[in-house]
Amino acid sequence: MDVYLQQLPQQLVNGLTIGGVYALIAIGYTMVYGILFMLNFAHGEVYMIGGFAGWWVLNLLSRNNVPIMNAAIVISLMLIIAMAVTGLLGMMIERFAYRPLRKAPRLNLLLSALGVSIFLQNLVLNYQGAEIRFFHVSSLIPESIRVFHIGNVVLSFTRILVILVTFLLMALLTVMVKKTKVGKAMRATAQDTEAATFMGIDVDRIIVLVFLVGSALGGAAGTLVGLLFTQVDYYVGFQAGLKGFTAAVLGGIGNIFGAMMGGIILGLVEALATTFFPSAYKDVVAFVILILVLIFRPWGLMGEKIPEKV
Amino acid sequence: MNNHFAKTELSKKQKLVLYGSIGVILAGAPLIMPNNYWLRIYTMSGLYVMLALGLNVVAGFAGILDMAYVAFFGIGGYTFALLSSSQFNIHLPFLLVLPIAAFISMGFGFALGSTSMRLKGDYLAIVTLAFAQIFKLMLLNLDRPVNITGGVNGIYNLDPINILGFKLVSPVPYSYLIWFSAIIVITGSFRIKRSRYGRGWQAIREDELAAESMGVNTAWMKLMAFAGGAFIAGATGALFASFQDSVFPNNFDFPQLVIIYCMVILGGLGNIVGVILGAILLSILPEFLREYGAYRMMSYGLILIVLMALRPQGIMGEIRFLVKGRRRPDKDESGLLRSSTELYYEEKEQAIEKHRKRYSKGDRIILELKNVTQNFGGLKAVDNLSLKLFEKEVLSIIGPNGAGKTTLFNLVSGIYSPSSGYILFEGSDIAGLRPHKVVKTGIARTFQNLRLFSTMSVLDNAKVAQFCRTKCGPLSILLHLPIYWKEEAQTETRVREVLGLFGARLTGYRFDQQAISLSFANRRRLEIARAISTNAKVLMLDEPSAGMNPQETIEITNFIKSLRDVYGYTIIMIEHKLNVVKTVSDRVIALDYGKKIAEGNYEEVASNKQVIEAYLGRKGH
Repeated sequence: MDVYLQQLPQQLVNGLTIGGVYALIAIGYTMVYGILFMLNFAHGEVYMIGGFAGWWVLNLLSRNNVPIMNAAIVISLMLIIAMAVTGLLGMMIERFAYRPLRKAPRLNLLLSALGVSIFLQNLVLNYQGAEIRFFHVSSLIPESIRVFHIGNVVLSFTRILVILVTFLLMALLTVMVKKTKVGKAMRATAQDTEAATFMGIDVDRIIVLVFLVGSALGGAAGTLVGLLFTQVDYYVGFQAGLKGFTAAVLGGIGNIFGAMMGGIILGLVEALATTFFPSAYKDVVAFVILILVLIFRPWGLMGEKIPEKV
Repeated sequence: MNNHFAKTELSKKQKLVLYGSIGVILAGAPLIMPNNYWLRIYTMSGLYVMLALGLNVVAGFAGILDMAYVAFFGIGGYTFALLSSSQFNIHLPFLLVLPIAAFISMGFGFALGSTSMRLKGDYLAIVTLAFAQIFKLMLLNLDRPVNITGGVNGIYNLDPINILGFKLVSPVPYSYLIWFSAIIVITGSFRIKRSRYGRGWQAIREDELAAESMGVNTAWMKLMAFAGGAFIAGATGALFASFQDSVFPNNFDFPQLVIIYCMVILGGLGNIVGVILGAILLSILPEFLREYGAYRMMSYGLILIVLMALRPQGIMGEIRFLVKGRRRPDKDESGLLRSSTELYYEEKEQAIEKHRKRYSKGDRIILELKNVTQNFGGLKAVDNLSLKLFEKEVLSIIGPNGAGKTTLFNLVSGIYSPSSGYILFEGSDIAGLRPHKVVKTGIARTFQNLRLFSTMSVLDNAKVAQFCRTKCGPLSILLHLPIYWKEEAQTETRVREVLGLFGARLTGYRFDQQAISLSFANRRRLEIARAISTNAKVLMLDEPSAGMNPQETIEITNFIKSLRDVYGYTIIMIEHKLNVVKTVSDRVIALDYGKKIAEGNYEEVASNKQVIEAYLGRKGH
């Protein structure tokens, strides 16, 4: 037991980091679900492409695996470009795969989303191959700030970066949804699409915006995980997508703040699970949680049966 | 007269030619394959036909997005591998392992289905997907501490198939075995689709609530589809494992699932011939793309997107001549328009004959509500309501919008279960029973805003209502046991009898028309016909004349009257047109805010002050 207790602070930090990433992914699912009532299956692939975009920027700005610019600029560019690419991608997915099916049965939408997911995954496989691509983080971040030790907790710079960026993005999103006019329109559309149309809201534009924002956050998550675990490959989107969805469900799907909490809870639970189970079963734990929550509390862990959407 | 109803099916001779040529092709195909490579593709396409048809039962017939399908395939494969290899030194004979694999897989299907079947579409998809992921992770990781699944390396060197001493080692007998199994699955698919199960599933896919209210046990039927799909997947998995002589986790992974879905969707969900063609097409076509190997999965993704956007019904969707007869439903064999008026008059005479029998309101209470209350949050939609319905009575419920009339129907028919109170039907409490059980006791309803099974034929719409009066299970259907034929004949007769009540409106060429292509008034009639077809004693009609023109209203009024007078049904009806109420009702009850405000014959209720106030508002002082 002592061993577990000693590991606990470290696992909490690990859980918080990965939980923030899950939260970012979950937001994309939950925003789309809140308005279109569809599970955007392709969101995991958007995350994966975000990871590749970050990797690509890092390589572009490096010579022989050594960055040619200040690390802060490189990382900012990685994030900005990854978010731009995935935001655009999200808009395109909406335009070509989902909009033609707006009035079709939900089964059709889901199958189309499945198609997009498989298409994107294999598109990347075709152009990038199946091998793992590495982020040379060690040469990017100066050694003096690479790792901190606080007590027996090991805290790497990238870990702090991930926590800071995820919380910054979530704060920005909260302000946007709660305080701006566009945010109000989003909330109105999620409540009742038809009524929102009658009140003069261009619902199509709101939907595009939702895909833009949700996908950009997913893309940011992709790059952040790339920096954290220093690698990306074409298959990471599938698992990450399922985890993000689990987080969204935990928080009550359609509820943005629930998704944030859900992500962090899932991250913590997973991290703690690795102290008790072999790490190979970490994902099994996550999926068992998903199944149990969906069966027994499909409206999420956090309270009300009818969640406030978006 | 019977030739009017002649089914548009193939003649005996055509059937013989069709089956003969299929037989010849299947017997000859393995022998003319240019090399072992193509023979392998031929055999694999047989396996895919089985897999696709199994998925078609779940996703096509019942409309359930089952993402664990590939896991059931894997469970079958691994069961076979574990029970007939050196992994644990168990070497059971093939004829024993095959059913074991299928049943174990079905058991898992049952377990997963019974816990998750009440979830909505997307959630069910995710739960099943998570199950499939857990399954795959188990396969990958159960090589330590005890080696069960062999991890990434899988299990190989399985026992050769040995059927009663005859060993299958070369590829040609394998292809015969697998295509023979495929033929069994194909035949089974056709049989189940044409049975009460097939109709029940189709009804669920079209409108689950309406199916339940017409007596289909939707929860059980969905579970059956799920388990049935798992059964076929499990058996196919065993055959596949033996054919490949090994199993690996990768054989049962997500891309495989997508391939099978593509086959089913390309062929058209629920369309058996289409799915078979889809499976064969997608097993062969990608071989021509082999040089561009990695593009294969990409093209599957594109197929899904493009099909969903442009042709969600699949390639075979509207090519009817291959599936049904070439004839238009309103023409007879010689190509002349089938006349239905003649039939109408024939029926009319019979009806007049029957008019001699007269029924009227009895004294026995058949349905009684005692202090029934229904809360929706703070709102009491029905508030401490008590009412009695006598045998062979026509009772009308009137009241302004929001008075709780339809809620009352929903309570009796089991869609809601009351917050408090009793609903007694022939003395036993039916409050809180699931709708399909209520129907079975003898109460059937219609819906205010028409909930027909739109793409099913008039005949099939009515046949769904006989679901609760028949009971033959999957085995009797698949083996075409005598009970199946008996029940089908019984259903057919009963349904034609009921539709005959409506004369030419619903009979003749209209038998084969889709419900959606009927006129509005005829759809209302079909709703009533469907309710009658459940063999109900009590009919609950929710605004039967809504949306009808004056002429049609008179006709339906007379019809409702004859339902009681001539055929002896007890009727409880919600109606806004007071002329209709006046003409047919023995008694009228007025509701407002969920409470009974007046009761009595039409004149009494119509002159009641409270009723007038409820409709017109209080007079100014």
